[in-house]
Amino acid sequence: MTPVAGHEPAVTSGPDADVARTRGAYLERLAAADEPGAVAVAIGALDAGVDAVTVLLDVVAGAQRDVGDRWAAGQWTVVQEHVATHISERVVAAVARHAPAPAPSGIGTVAVACLDGEWHGLPARLLAEVLSRHGWDVRFLGASVPAAQLAGHLHEEGPDVVAVSSSLPSRLPAARRMVEVCRATGTPVLAGGPAFGEDGRWARAVGADGWAPDARSAAALLASSPQGSWFPDDAGRPIAGAHPADDAAREEQAVLHARRAELVAAVAARLCDARADGARGPVDPADTADTAPPEELTDDLGHLVDFLGAAVFVDDAGLLDAFVRWVGSVSIPRGLTPAEAREALTHLAGLLRDSPRTARFLHAARTATAATDVPAAAGAVGAARGGSRT
Amino acid sequence: MDTRLSPSAPRRSPPPPVEPDEAPVGPGEPWESVLAGVREAVLICDAAGVVTRANAPAHAMLPDLVVGELVDVARCRPLTDAVHAGDAELTVDLPPAPGAPGGARRVSGWSRRIADDAVCWYLLDVSDEHRRADSLLAAQDRAQFLSEAGRALHGVLHLDRTVRTVVALAVPRLATAALVLVNAGGDTVRWARADADRPRPETGELPLAALRATPHVRAALLGDGPADPWAAIELGALDVWGGADPGVGLLAVPVPVNGVAHAVLVLAADPADVVDAGPAPRDAGIPALVTEYASRAGTALAAAALFREQSHLGGVLQQSLAPPPLPRGSGGTEPCFGAAYRPAREGLRVGGDFYEVLPPATPDATTSFLLGDVCGKGIEAAVLSGRVRQSLHALRLVERRPRALLDLLNTALLDAAAAYGEAPRFATMVLGDVVPGGDGGDGGDGGLTLRLATGGHPPPLVVRTDGTVDVVDVTGTLVGALREASFAETRVALGPGDTCVLYSDGLTEARGPAGFYGEERLQAALGTCGGVPAPVLCERLVQLISEWLDGGDHDDIAVLAVQAPTVEGTCA
Repeated sequence: MTPVAGHEPAVTSGPDADVARTRGAYLERLAAADEPGAVAVAIGALDAGVDAVTVLLDVVAGAQRDVGDRWAAGQWTVVQEHVATHISERVVAAVARHAPAPAPSGIGTVAVACLDGEWHGLPARLLAEVLSRHGWDVRFLGASVPAAQLAGHLHEEGPDVVAVSSSLPSRLPAARRMVEVCRATGTPVLAGGPAFGEDGRWARAVGADGWAPDARSAAALLASSPQGSWFPDDAGRPIAGAHPADDAAREEQAVLHARRAELVAAVAARLCDARADGARGPVDPADTADTAPPEELTDDLGHLVDFLGAAVFVDDAGLLDAFVRWVGSVSIPRGLTPAEAREALTHLAGLLRDSPRTARFLHAARTATAATDVPAAAGAVGAARGGSRT
Repeated sequence: MDTRLSPSAPRRSPPPPVEPDEAPVGPGEPWESVLAGVREAVLICDAAGVVTRANAPAHAMLPDLVVGELVDVARCRPLTDAVHAGDAELTVDLPPAPGAPGGARRVSGWSRRIADDAVCWYLLDVSDEHRRADSLLAAQDRAQFLSEAGRALHGVLHLDRTVRTVVALAVPRLATAALVLVNAGGDTVRWARADADRPRPETGELPLAALRATPHVRAALLGDGPADPWAAIELGALDVWGGADPGVGLLAVPVPVNGVAHAVLVLAADPADVVDAGPAPRDAGIPALVTEYASRAGTALAAAALFREQSHLGGVLQQSLAPPPLPRGSGGTEPCFGAAYRPAREGLRVGGDFYEVLPPATPDATTSFLLGDVCGKGIEAAVLSGRVRQSLHALRLVERRPRALLDLLNTALLDAAAAYGEAPRFATMVLGDVVPGGDGGDGGDGGLTLRLATGGHPPPLVVRTDGTVDVVDVTGTLVGALREASFAETRVALGPGDTCVLYSDGLTEARGPAGFYGEERLQAALGTCGGVPAPVLCERLVQLISEWLDGGDHDDIAVLAVQAPTVEGTCA
């Protein structure tokens, strides 16, 4: 298998090239599901003088992004991606053993957690490792941490700061619950990961005290102000979609959450009928009645409803637009096609007439997709869709 | 008749007598006497600023005022300026009237042009209204401070954080520096100090023994005496000031912590300089605001101290009941294990489901494993599951065959229930051990043979590397319910990379918006996991179930996977 160059520009010599080569070799070991081999590549890089943070963020996390790309391109299955992630988690542990983080410097204690429902624990695990290398006393709470568990941790351990990670914008309502738990104890929350938007605007909307796009900038922000808050003081300069969720947002999001299964089933049935018509022309209804919609389709429609709910929650139609555009950029066999996405938006708007903001967003998203079929660079949302499938 | 407000006030120079017949008004006009009776000081100035008339209250308010002279001689600068500038209104703070009761006076004035060359000024003493408004604002401010302090203090149960919060909130509102000492049991006293110039409170611990030199502080922290002024004097000697001189004027405030702990709050600097004059007069000792704050701090410290004790208790209990870590495959013919657990109560790490892998106790013994489910949820169920596991540990010393072990366990659980006078509390479980060799023989082909016995539990599933899923045909009655129980045992051969999955009914009975998850979905999900490493398989199952649940309530969910190593002798 050829190593995929991924997001980084091609470099043929120098330390960057060495890192790129190591990342390629590492990705090959992931592709072969070879845990000892992957550990050997990472430890070899450490022994060759590459620092641990580079190994963790540029080799391991870099290769994991390549894995995500391969999944999105339909080259890898969900299970393959799971195995790769599992191996990378073992590698992170091996790196931590081989090049242990120094003792905490006294800068403070930080709890690192993934949002409830966020099963991609590796980015947060990497953040925990990086922060411990910046002198923090780190507690890693794991993937998908329920708010109740976080509350218990806050009362038992009293960390100075909570860092939450998520790649899924559809988890923003869960982020809000987590932030509320932290607020109640006066603990500042630093949000991280693509879930909070490319510029972190949704981190504000859920009430976080700051946002960092990646582990390195999170470490820098925390070092600059160990007690928070980290948003630049730009009060008075309103940012679109960057205000706390209001009551209407919560109500409409709750409606969407409660009706999720019903909405998915209704839209899936309609789309399946359309597919059957398209494939065979008019058919005997009895022929299609027993055919359950494919899982890929109901998964995508479930994501659509979740993203709609998140968009309504943070009052930002752009969140839904980005997801719908992204659907058009990836081809999942039997998944939602761009044309079907438009159909789904129309049908949902009909089903959700009673929720004014929801209906408005659906209409806007439909107009937006009709205007352009060019897939936007919605990388954040893309990673999210991949993440939620795996 | 003398109508002046302060008749006894000494004057620099006597005012001209104010007699109606001397007043430069038209004959028969009673205005002079009318003006003498109003509350406002009234004076009329001409264009040059010379006072042409003044009523009695004006002379009382401004004793130096002379009719016929410039207003300047009244020695009231703001008034002089206002008159010459032709202002419409003014506010003046006057020093206390000599010899008169009350403090500084606040005067509010306004002017009105009554003729081309005459402006009339009305000055009113508004000191009382002003004081009332000030004290109302101060009371509101105190109430707001206390309410915000209460919110900040009661939101957190972590003891050290609470201790830090207690001093952080006190500065600068109540003092220039604040120190709190807390004895929450044990041999040490925790302390935290906040200074106005440092954003983060400093914290530390002192051994109780170090307090011998400060008997009054020690007594207060052991609950043997009140935090009295003597304690405040001793405090300077304690090593809690970070090298700085705490100065004089330390105020030791007893913090009522209701017996759970003992605490003393110490405020540096004279709080009277900082605290607004509250309802409590200074000679009453500690200002009311400080006492109120200390009482809120005490409640928060009591809750935090109690929580720390309880959470330590819960933590130790949970640690002893939580599934022990799985043995890491040592390679060769050793089996590989994976597990995942999601308790019903999300704040807990334990529940009624349990699993365990027991490495061989002796070199010739086998590795045993089990997964089970006791009735109930939460900590009560977890305690019962602990009893089941401990019984198994002991019984395993005398019996290794899984079915015979279940028979013994059944008897042991019934006997224990009888001994404690409890109703029998049953469990379901799968119990097995691992023999090297896929044919159940002496190994060599890289596979494994499992001996599996069940009591009332969902049958295990075997996932082959090609994704085929087999249901292991083995049944049995509940464990610990009936003396006449019957359990079955079977053998399962695993080829390299094959996986045997034990799970609790929390998986299949997980109820999401679309109904129960069910065995069909479970088997379909496992079908995509052929050859997948055991830990990944378990995590994936729990993730799929969680997505199915979509945030809904669920029972305990546990999965344990036993996997034969690959032909290379590694875990998949």
